[in-house]
This record gives sequence, structure tokens and C-alpha cells, in this order.
Amino acid sequence: MRGYTGKLLRINLSNRESHIEDIPEQLMKNFLGGRGLAARYLYSELNAGVEPLGPDNKLLLMMGPLGATAAMAVSRMAIVSKSPLTGCIAKSIIGGNFGAFLKFAGFDGIIVESEAEKPTYVHINRDKVQVLDADEIWGLDTEETQTRLRRQHGTSTKVVCIGPAGEKLVRYAILLSDRRCAGRTGLGAVMGAKKLKAIAVNSAGPLSVHDPQQFKRLVKEQVKGLNASPRRIQMTNFGTSYMTVGFEKMGLFPVKNFQQGHLEGIERLSEEEFVKIKVKNSGCYGCMTRCGQERRVTEGLYAGAFSEGPDFETIWALGGNLANTDLASLVAADSLCDKLGIDTISTGNAIGFACELFEKGIITTRDSDGLNLTWGNHGDILKLVEKIGRREGFGELLGEGTKRAAEHIGKGAETCAMHVKGLEIPAYEPRAIKGYGLIFATSNIGASHMYGRPREEFAGTKDRFADEGKGEDIARAQIGQAAQDSVIQCSFGAATGFTPQLLSELLVAATGFNEFGDPAYLNKIGERIICLERLFNVREGFSRKDDTLPARMLTEPLKNAGPATGQVIRKLDTLLGEYYDALGYTHNGIPSVEKLTQLGLGWVVEDIERFVK
Amino acid sequence: MSIRVKLPPILQELSCGVETCEVTGQTVRECLEGLEAQFPTIKDYLLDRQGRLLRIFGIFLNSKSIYPKELDTPVQENDEITILNFIAGG
Repeated sequence: MRGYTGKLLRINLSNRESHIEDIPEQLMKNFLGGRGLAARYLYSELNAGVEPLGPDNKLLLMMGPLGATAAMAVSRMAIVSKSPLTGCIAKSIIGGNFGAFLKFAGFDGIIVESEAEKPTYVHINRDKVQVLDADEIWGLDTEETQTRLRRQHGTSTKVVCIGPAGEKLVRYAILLSDRRCAGRTGLGAVMGAKKLKAIAVNSAGPLSVHDPQQFKRLVKEQVKGLNASPRRIQMTNFGTSYMTVGFEKMGLFPVKNFQQGHLEGIERLSEEEFVKIKVKNSGCYGCMTRCGQERRVTEGLYAGAFSEGPDFETIWALGGNLANTDLASLVAADSLCDKLGIDTISTGNAIGFACELFEKGIITTRDSDGLNLTWGNHGDILKLVEKIGRREGFGELLGEGTKRAAEHIGKGAETCAMHVKGLEIPAYEPRAIKGYGLIFATSNIGASHMYGRPREEFAGTKDRFADEGKGEDIARAQIGQAAQDSVIQCSFGAATGFTPQLLSELLVAATGFNEFGDPAYLNKIGERIICLERLFNVREGFSRKDDTLPARMLTEPLKNAGPATGQVIRKLDTLLGEYYDALGYTHNGIPSVEKLTQLGLGWVVEDIERFVK
Repeated sequence: MSIRVKLPPILQELSCGVETCEVTGQTVRECLEGLEAQFPTIKDYLLDRQGRLLRIFGIFLNSKSIYPKELDTPVQENDEITILNFIAGG
């Protein structure tokens, strides 16, 4: 067995003990790695009803079988837990270098258990693991935390950490490594509740693979494809910023908290404008694309602001969604979110929610600590970002997420809260690409753009405005994403040279598991993963009633959105029915016993029998 | 001079389902003008206000990428221009 290290590090923070255990080979074959393997462990080890911010929740960091090898764009790491934002299973995938070096240290993953009495961090030096006091770094931002730990343990130390927001349990706090984030579902708050500030690793490669000659040949093939790919060149030159203007033209870009689709002055946020302040590229371990765009503002109000970003999602969240076209303020806001350790998508969505409430008079300056939350007021937007990250004043309420904030405010605020299952909707207008609407509604982690993509609708081979006939495609997209998140293969890499065949061949050459040579086998793993994630939620009481969208998407025709103007999601029930049928779920959105047996998940039937009707 | 242009499905929303059409021109930019003449507004979805190609699209001439000077690339009789759209995320 190669590719995998086959070892899992389990750390108990309350007694500061750790031990190493073997990962059963059959688990690798059934769940692949990353997100899949983490979901399998979490499901088995967590009882239903565990408080996400309590000591019984667990935090899992898991690599895939190709991570830390010479293959391109596969060294990402999955973080999985129970979400404090949604109460569902949580997952987010992080880039950077930490995961590769964790494998070099000899571990495919880490399970963090219990909670520490006082602030701590974990240091892994090859196979030596220590739980150490973090008094000196508690309270520091993510940048300073990484700098201090590198000073302490050497410049080659790789760190994953939280910022002040994670410590203060902001429900959409993130983990950050280098300048890459596990941004969604509040995993930073889980880490903060455990009083775990950071994990630092020192190690040295390389990792061996099953068939080095074949592996080398396949990587050469991958590099050749990437090198020639115009799409890869786009990503290197612009990151994802190149999508902004085109998406707005297509009506896909939500503006003013999903109230319309047109942004006046959007050209000020074009990729050409961002290139003017670009300093250099940066990237993850083992990736030649280097899509990261390091940018620095050199003049004006925000002179000196520096960030690896903002990416497309952040340009939307803190820009378009708030009708803010001040490019420099976006760099400053992106940097601030990273340093404080909060998700830019949920932060921008929550501020958009607040701006709409302000516009409608549901809240006033008395509620917002005097901030003037008019659209595009970037000065006060930045002040509010700071308040959220530090959980101060009005920021404390918004840091609870839009769902809880709306419930607290009342007075009709719920109609302005753009979330699914508590996770804020990202940068795609569901009414303008209805397959994404179905993905958001059915995603087991809430409204995530990384829970499958309606590729055919983006390409135009399927009608993005059609009211029905999407269930099977969306089920397939979610299955594919689950397998991809378990490899773990970068979503951008997928669009720049990977073919299913090449991926399968790389997996076989790395691991020696011939089963992985069959793309259908990998698809079955993907289906097993989303099924198990759904079962996790079923145990928590989730069902069809939760697979929905904000009323705005279902009843209000989209305004001022070019070709998408007037669109509304008319038949969500029909779409849900198609989706459940495609996956073998009951009418209530719960996997049938037959499906569980077919996927080799018969062992969970007892857990959920009472929910199957 | 006759040039064939193949449209990506997403632009066929604006071409009433037409996948391929014939245009004339000396450069790709002139060919796109010809496209606009047949399907008014299609250029609005291909170019930004400064007349630059939107980066969600890529242009291939006889199946070869002509990035980054797509619009100024000269074309010849019987050439085929293929427009593709690039969608990412994140």
C-alpha cells in the first residue's frame, strides 16, 4: 500500500495525549480519503445531538491518496466536523502546504478530540507529537500566529491555525494555512471551542508510490496538458477574478443581497483592474497553475492593503453583493477577513442581509452601533467586518450567521436572510442557473458552491432556466464532487487537464488498488459519501423539509439580470423528487434501505430505521 | 472571404439555437462584428465595454488557441473559429 501513509494521528486535548492508529485498508477502498474517509470516521464516532461547540464534537483533518505526491493539484486537505452554523455535517477543503507536510510526517489525517483546559497548539515533528501551551499566541491574528510559530519551530514549519474569530466562536470562523482557507461551515469555531489555536508540522518528504515509473509517466502527461491549457493560463494570469464581469452579464451575479442582477460600475471590478495591482502569483504544494494573486494597494484610502485575493467569491461577497465597486476596499476587506479568520462568503452575505434590513428600516443606526449600512459604503463595511471578527457590538449578532440573526431580529428579517440550512448562499444566483438552486437546496452542508456544479448548465448544453429535468444531472454532479474532494483534487485542476481516465490511472499507480482504475467504482464511492453525509444529517433530524431555498428564490422574479430577468424557481418540489429518485432516496429525502445495502452501508440501517417511512 | 464560427451552447441562448454560422472578415474581431450583424446583442456577451474579449470565453482558430491576442489574429478563407466558455468557481 503506497500513496497513503496508512496512519491516523488521534489527539486528545483534555489529557494532552496522542496515539497513532492504522487506517483499515477496506476503509480506504470504500471511502478513498479526504472528505470521504473523514465523513466515515465522524459518522461512526459522533453520537446524534452532540453540541458542535462542546467537547464531544471532533475535528478531522484528512488527506487523500495522491496528496504530497508529484501529481499536480491534488495536495489539498479536507476538514470535517459537525457545523456550529448549520448543525449538519461540515466540510471544507483547504489548499496551501500543510497537508502535504502532514503526510511527509507520516499521517494521512488527524482526529482532534475533547477540549483543552487552556489555549494550546499541537506541534508535530516527524513522529513526535506535543500538545503545547498557546498563551503567547492566543489572541493573535492568523498571519502573526504563523509567523510566531515559524520563528519558534523553524522557517520551514507549516501551520494551520485560527484567528481571533475562531477563538471567540464566530459561527463562520475559518482555518487558515499560508493564505489559503477552509472557509465554510464554521470549522474555525469548532477549533476555537477546543481552545486549539494551531497545528504546526515539521517534516521532510518524499512519499513513495506503488509504481514510480508509471506514476512519473502519468504526471508528465498531466503537466503537458496543463502547460498547453488556455484555461490554466487564464487561472495563472487572473485567478478566478476573470469571471466577474461575464457572470454579471449572464445574470448569474447576485447584487444587493440577491435583490437584483445588475451592478452599476462592475467594470471597476474586472480582472484587468485587479491585474494593475498584482504583485505576484502564489500557489499550493504541487501545483504549477499558481492561481493565487497577491495584490497590493499602493495609493488612496487603503494604501498598503495586501492580500492573496480577493478571489471571485470574495469580489462578489464584499463587492457586488454590497454594491461596493471600490476595488482597493476589497483587498483591504479580504485581508481583514483572513487575519481575523472569518469566511468572506458568509461575512459578505451577513453584511448584505444587514444592509437590506437597513434599507427597509427594519434596523437603524441604533442597532448597527452607528454604522451607516447603505449599499456601497465601504468604510462602514470594513468597520462591520472588524466587529464581526472580534464579536463586538452589532458584529456579535451577525457573527451568529444570518439565520440566527434573522430569528433574533424578527420583524420580517427572515425574508432577507439568504441561507440554506443556516449556511449563507455564495456568489451564484439560483434563479439564473436553477441547477445550482437544486444543489444549494439539497447539499448536506448547506448552500455551498463546492457541493457539485451544474457544469452542463454553465456550458449551455442544458437549459439553465428549465424548471424541471435537472435531478439526475445534479445528483451526478454531487457524486463527482464528493469523489473529487476525497482524492483530493482541486476544482480548478479538474477543469485544466484532468480526465477521469488519467485520474483513475494516477490513483492505481499511486496506491496499487486496481479498483480505483474504474471510474464507475470512484463514482460509487462518491455516491456512498453523499449518502453517509445525508445519514449524518438524518440522525440530527434533517429531512425534505430542510431541502429548500429562501422564499425570495421561489416567489420573487429576478430583477434587472439581463437574460435571466424574470426567472424564478417555480418547481422546487418537482426537482427534489427527480433528485431523490436519482439517488434512491425516499419521498422524504432519506436513503432507502435498499440503497444503503447497495452502497455497502447496511450497518447504518439501525441508526436511521425510525426515520424511514 | 467566408469564415465559419462555432458558438458555445451558452451563446446559443442568443442565436436562437444556431450552432454554426458563416461570417466574413480579415481578423477575428471583424468576424465577431459579422456575428453581431446576424445576432444582435451577442457581442455584448463576448466583449467588455472597452471592446476586449471577456475572459470567460476563449477563442480557437482551426482548433488552436490564439490566446492572448485573439481579436487581432488574422483569418483566412475557410478558417474555422471556435468560441468556448471557461467556467470555474471558488
